[in-house]
Amino acid sequence: MASAPRSEALPARRIASDHEGFLRHARFRWLKIGLAACFIALLGYVAADVQPRPYGGSWYGYTLGTIGALLIVWLALLGIRKRAMTPGRWSLKAWTSAHVYLGLALIVIATLHTGFQFGWNVHTLAYALMMLVILSGIYGAVVYATLPAALSNNRDQLTLGEMIAGIRAIDRQLVDATQPLPQEFAQLVLGATGEEIFSRSLWRRLSGKYPDCATQMAIAGFHSASGAGDAAAGRVEALLIRRKGQLDRLRRHTRLKGLLEVWLYLHIPATIALLAALTAHIVSVFYYW
Amino acid sequence: MAFRLRQIEFTADGRKIVREREIAKPQLTLGRAAESDIHLPDLAVEPQHARIDDLGGGRIGIAATGTLGFALDGADTRAATVDCRSGAELQFGASRISASLADDGAVLLTIERIDTASGDIDEKSSISLAGAMPSRRTVSWIMAILILGLFLALPITSYLTRGPDPKARVIGDGSWSPGKLSLAHRSLEGRCQACHVKPFEAVRDTACRTCHATVHDHAAPDRLAGARGDRPLGERFLQSVAHSFGKPGPGACVECHTEHKGVGRMEAPRQQFCAACHAGLSERLTGTKLGNAGDFGTLHPQFMPLVVTNPASRAATRLSLDTHPRENGGLTFPHKLHLDPLGGVARMAASIGAERGYGSKLACKDCHHPSEDGVRFLPVRMERDCEACHSLVYDRVGPTFRTLKHGNVDQMIADLSAARPSWPVVAARPRPGAYAAEGGYYANFAPPGGGSVLQRAFARDGVCGECHTPVFTGGRTGVMPVTLPARYMTKGWFSHKAHSQEKCTSCHAAEKSSSATDLLLPGIAQCRTCHLGEGSNAAVPSSCAMCHSYHPAASAPRKDRSDKS
Repeated sequence: MASAPRSEALPARRIASDHEGFLRHARFRWLKIGLAACFIALLGYVAADVQPRPYGGSWYGYTLGTIGALLIVWLALLGIRKRAMTPGRWSLKAWTSAHVYLGLALIVIATLHTGFQFGWNVHTLAYALMMLVILSGIYGAVVYATLPAALSNNRDQLTLGEMIAGIRAIDRQLVDATQPLPQEFAQLVLGATGEEIFSRSLWRRLSGKYPDCATQMAIAGFHSASGAGDAAAGRVEALLIRRKGQLDRLRRHTRLKGLLEVWLYLHIPATIALLAALTAHIVSVFYYW
Repeated sequence: MAFRLRQIEFTADGRKIVREREIAKPQLTLGRAAESDIHLPDLAVEPQHARIDDLGGGRIGIAATGTLGFALDGADTRAATVDCRSGAELQFGASRISASLADDGAVLLTIERIDTASGDIDEKSSISLAGAMPSRRTVSWIMAILILGLFLALPITSYLTRGPDPKARVIGDGSWSPGKLSLAHRSLEGRCQACHVKPFEAVRDTACRTCHATVHDHAAPDRLAGARGDRPLGERFLQSVAHSFGKPGPGACVECHTEHKGVGRMEAPRQQFCAACHAGLSERLTGTKLGNAGDFGTLHPQFMPLVVTNPASRAATRLSLDTHPRENGGLTFPHKLHLDPLGGVARMAASIGAERGYGSKLACKDCHHPSEDGVRFLPVRMERDCEACHSLVYDRVGPTFRTLKHGNVDQMIADLSAARPSWPVVAARPRPGAYAAEGGYYANFAPPGGGSVLQRAFARDGVCGECHTPVFTGGRTGVMPVTLPARYMTKGWFSHKAHSQEKCTSCHAAEKSSSATDLLLPGIAQCRTCHLGEGSNAAVPSSCAMCHSYHPAASAPRKDRSDKS
């Protein structure tokens, strides 16, 4: 009897300490619920006797449409909900898990709602935006599940601030080491240290390819021009090579961070656009009922 | 001849340090090289960048000695002369040098490093894509406003402000149409208000009736309601939900005539649509004359054609084929005799075949001609279909024959009364038959055996009497009127054209019929050899709509209509 309270307290502590991602939350509870929702929707679609063909304006179409619209609004509320992190059954993690799996179930529910009737109209626009949101969301869930490990490996215990500080420290050494060198070398070093660490080009950030990297060009310049036995130039070149190594790591970090972030630039504006298109869809349907 | 250099620097915490030194030289060197008089440890400055000469009188000359120039008051140059009394600002790399004259007349050069680097403080936040992407918030707002404006505000504004002209178009409501209209309503494309009369009100039957004024109801509303009876709970629930949202029905036009399903034609209703009421109609609808019908193969009453039983009144009565009704159209006509391949008719057909297009015997088509649409047959006409054999010639004058006019008894009496008594005029025409002496057929106008010409004509073997029944009313001689129905089954549809692969005799037992009172219509069992219900695996699965229309009309039902509009 004396051990009873302890045995009750233990699992609670384990839940708090064990890490379980939002995808696996509660042993895939929301995946199961999502699958069940898809199955029921499909079953109803097959069973419902809708003439002359399934369409959004049939009784079953209205039912799926109502469920779909409510789901969309609830899914969009994650944007507000995520700003308050709470633990427990209705934790943010549970909410996110439900967001992912119910969002996926929406593909089936909303597609059946359309009855596979598509056209160049506001209704299909809403559907297309919804699919855009879901597809970008799938991308987001996949990168959230896979990229953080790569990010962690690449970081090598360093924080972003430390990575930047490391490069800047090399830069200062470079400036000092270049002082005795002629201007052509000084220009190369200036170009390397003056280059923005974070490119403004989205493509470079996400691809990790920097074809005209000033540091790389400086290394090449020094390599081809450094006279034999010029100790000062040799030192600068070594510093540049160190700078390149650190820069590469930072760029990999930037790339992973970018890949983790870029989908939100589609997911969120498309969600807002979807809410607008959904409003137009619903109002227009009943305006011309 | 001295320069005074004032170097201004800042410590990390922002404290200002000013160092001054005098250089008693007429000429200063400036550069990154450590031995320069003005040493600027800046990679943007060349080791030997420039030379500054004191020209006397407070004027100095600056000349670039390397490949790079410098800025004088913001303008790039390679050589300049500056009057220090008025002052000037020079810039080499990241260093600014202000030239002025000290109180004691010495040239004062104030050297200050311009701190261009913004520092590393915000550099971390640059890793966010925010700098490389347009703002999410801005994009969201723009898209939301565009969508709501184009697809909601624009059409509604246009709708509310359109003129009173019923053909006035609403701008932008095309984006609301979920699909193309059917072929029948294609002309209404883009004129949404023709059907969507009031905002937020489901399309009403009144909108349909503005054009479809003559469409008949399937039955009176109270009879329809009675026939529907109590619907299943689910259906009643759906109906009550629909009603609470203001949807019309049950039985509203739009329930069957759905629109915006793409360019096409309306599908014929399925069997279940009719069977829902008609399968058990007699239990729900008291006094109905209709038999229950739910499936052509298993639940359908025997055909009840309109049959004329009294030739005098010509009234047609609906009689079930199960009662083996006899028809009396007022004509005497044995099909069997005419179709017998070995009989006299066949021999006559063969003998005049070349002239009339007959074969070695008479066939159905020789007397029955299809209507233009091929659906049914034209009524038999004596002149066209019988007279080739049943000649009404009664006299010959020179090379010409005189013929009685069919259908006018008074005229016939007059013609025969005035005829010459030389009989028979056509006896020489070799036509086989059993009517006259010598085996030759001829119209028997006058007796060899006695009696008047008229009496002989109306006698059973006479030229009139062999087909017609003489009637004497009010002292006048006439014949029983002949009724040849073009259509026996007016509530259902039958197209002969659709059955052209069949022989006539597969359904009509004409070859065995010796009397015109035989009703040669096939019963439902005959049809069921090929036609069974919609879900059957018969040769021709047949739904109700193959023969019946929902809206009572004389035209073909949907499933058999070639235009199907």
